[in-house]
Amino acid sequence: MLKAMVKRALNKDDDKLLIAKTLQRLDQKDASKSRANLADDEALEWLKPRVLIKPDDQDFVPEAELDEEVGRILTTINPQWVPVEVAYHYGQGKFIMKPKPAFGKAYPLYVYQGTAIRKDSDEAKAQIAAGYGMVGFDDAGPKRAKVKKAAAEEEEEEEPEAEPPPVEEAKPEADTTLEEGPAEEEVPEAAEPPPEPDVQDEQEVANEEVQEPEPEPEEKPETVEEEVIVVKPRVRKLANQFNFCERAALTYNFPRRSVETQTVPPPRANFGSTALQCIIFDFYQEDYARKMREKEEEKPKRLRKKKEKHAKSAQQIHDEHLAQRIREAWAILERLVNQNIYDDIAQDYRYWDDPSDEFREGMGSLLPLWRFQFEPMRSHAVCDMQWNPHYQDLFAVAYGSLDFTKQQKEGCVCLYSIKNPAYPEYAVITESPIICIDVYTETPYLICVGCYDGNVCVYNAQLSLESSYQYKSDSVRDKHSNIVWEVRWGARLIDGEASFFSVSGDGRVVQWAVMPGELRATTIIELRAPAAPVPGPDGTLIAVNSCGSCICFHPEKADIFLVGTEDGAIHTCSLKYNRSYVRSCQAHHMPVYRINYNYFNNSIYASCSGDWRVKIWEDGREEPLFMFELGSPVGDVKWAPYSSTVFAACTADGKVYVFDLNVNKYRPICVQAVVSKKTKKLTRLDFNPKLPVIVCGDTKGTCHVLKLSPNLRVMVKPPKKALSTDQRTLQIMKLDKLLTLVRDPPFTPGVVDEKFEDD
Amino acid sequence: MANEAEETVRKLATHKGVAGVIVVNGEGIPIKTTLDNHVSVQYAGLLSALVDKAKAVVRDLDPTNDLTFLRIRSKKSEVLVAPDKEFILIVVQNPVD
Repeated sequence: MLKAMVKRALNKDDDKLLIAKTLQRLDQKDASKSRANLADDEALEWLKPRVLIKPDDQDFVPEAELDEEVGRILTTINPQWVPVEVAYHYGQGKFIMKPKPAFGKAYPLYVYQGTAIRKDSDEAKAQIAAGYGMVGFDDAGPKRAKVKKAAAEEEEEEEPEAEPPPVEEAKPEADTTLEEGPAEEEVPEAAEPPPEPDVQDEQEVANEEVQEPEPEPEEKPETVEEEVIVVKPRVRKLANQFNFCERAALTYNFPRRSVETQTVPPPRANFGSTALQCIIFDFYQEDYARKMREKEEEKPKRLRKKKEKHAKSAQQIHDEHLAQRIREAWAILERLVNQNIYDDIAQDYRYWDDPSDEFREGMGSLLPLWRFQFEPMRSHAVCDMQWNPHYQDLFAVAYGSLDFTKQQKEGCVCLYSIKNPAYPEYAVITESPIICIDVYTETPYLICVGCYDGNVCVYNAQLSLESSYQYKSDSVRDKHSNIVWEVRWGARLIDGEASFFSVSGDGRVVQWAVMPGELRATTIIELRAPAAPVPGPDGTLIAVNSCGSCICFHPEKADIFLVGTEDGAIHTCSLKYNRSYVRSCQAHHMPVYRINYNYFNNSIYASCSGDWRVKIWEDGREEPLFMFELGSPVGDVKWAPYSSTVFAACTADGKVYVFDLNVNKYRPICVQAVVSKKTKKLTRLDFNPKLPVIVCGDTKGTCHVLKLSPNLRVMVKPPKKALSTDQRTLQIMKLDKLLTLVRDPPFTPGVVDEKFEDD
Repeated sequence: MANEAEETVRKLATHKGVAGVIVVNGEGIPIKTTLDNHVSVQYAGLLSALVDKAKAVVRDLDPTNDLTFLRIRSKKSEVLVAPDKEFILIVVQNPVD
């Protein structure tokens, strides 16, 4: 099969070589394939081997001949044709040349006589004339006809075909006449078969077409209305199988239509929220609060109204809270900023100790930490300062002036925190310079101050800055007539009012009771000068008051207090006697600036004075136990709260002296210049009750906070016998031991303290 | 009150190393600033988102707890944030050498 196809396909090609080769190859392939298949099919060995059967009379062709290539050429000339072919003609009785056939050598294999005839043949004409020839005429398609309504004639005029049959067209005129002839002849014939009106119609149409070609256009303008209607062709059915006719009807399809309406969409909104646990919790809290409120509302109205009167409006409360929160937030922020700035110092003040102390036996140093300054108070002197008894990082500072020839017009009370060295936590400017200050231990926000103009005030640090003092002494009746040198809070009065004492340059010691809305003054004692009364201008003798300069209360006996005077005397007074002193001694030659009781032994106190000296006294003893000369007016002396034998003093030449009597009874263990003595003087100093730091103030409004090195705060090691003894007892023992060494001259028993009577 | 706030902002801004102080209201809009406008807006927007998130962390761990302060230390500066329901205070501080 394949070979045949290739042959056929390539027959036309001239390249016979190629054909031969291809065929050959195909042969080979076939052979090898069959052989291979046979070899492969080992399972079919039982079958008889296929042997190609050769016919007996097959010629033997040698291999070389088989391999020989036989070329084939495709030409347009019939190679079989013999040009000079002759054939014997029986009629003529001779051989004659065969004529050359016009076509190629074609051999009809099968001849079938068809029924189709040519139209222009005579036979066809005869058929048409017989009435069979018009079949194709009507079949051609729908015809248009104009129906003339106006015309009464019922006959439907059929227009001639849009495309007249090409047969007719091609005919010469002679033919048409020929055609017409028989058509006209047909008329009598057509009349014979009555059920064929179509034929008649057609004949009439044909007649009209031919006979009246011109009247038609004339008739057309006459018509009023012309309708073009499609007239189905009338097909003459011929009873043969080729003229098949099918009737079918197509109904109208209703056009599809989709109707849509749109309603107004329901309102939508996007809502997003995160349901965190805390939010859920808040809602539960809110719900609980609401339920509580509902419960409250069920209570009788009378009760509720009472409450409403006192309650502030919700908005007011909210505003206050908000303001408070903002204030707190600012405070924290400020502290954080400061912590960043003073980070190293903040670390040092707690944890850094001077390592050189280990190599300096019995000597210590002070590490400067912060310097506190309040810009408006640059030219003022720090007249007093005190650590807050409750908050260990807070201290109060009184700004006044100690240069009495150039007195400042105003003063200031500041509260500094070491967490914020840049600005005071609380600052209030006062009308008069502040000379002294004391913080109430019971309520550490109440601060009493004594002013240069003789007034005393109480400030409440809890109130906002706008409101100044909470209480002030009556400027006319009760106030001191001289500078108030020191104020001290005292014990509460019998009816529970807080009270404080003030000592002034006018020689009076006044107790101020803090009543609601006012301060009530009671003069405790008037200090009399040892000089004789001076005769007045009208002859009366006027007693000369001595000027009180400091006051100190006995730590245990609330009615005993010491008053230092400007003439250097120290009077032991009692609240019970307002005329006479319990004791009196001339302690110094210059004004006494400070008297301070030891924290561990109630009978030991220190005093300092402008005569450059610091003295340690024991109650009832005329002579001081210790006396130190510091080479400059001593502004302040304070016992250390952590050790019974340590005290510190500051002098006007800008030095801080720290003594430890246990280490060295004659010399200070630390002398450090804190400020330059040319421009500044140190005025006051104070030990922090808890931290190992001291603060000292100078005359230029700066407070210096210094850390005590380890040698300055040596604790007592408990003896091996009594390891469990607490530090306080050890400190008392240490001081007592020291005192027995000093107390060799016998002393007269004092009135106040009978403890050492039998010494 | 307004006076006091004014004073505080001024006071804080004079501290060493403080680059700027921004007060942001509850809606995250800076109402007072010492920085450039667009920088403040950026700080306010970013930090109010962070504060919300941080608050959620603290409150989710313990609903009765609350965030009080936020401190962001970076290589170049430190941002101190005091968050609240109705305001956020922001201080940008450069380290002191």
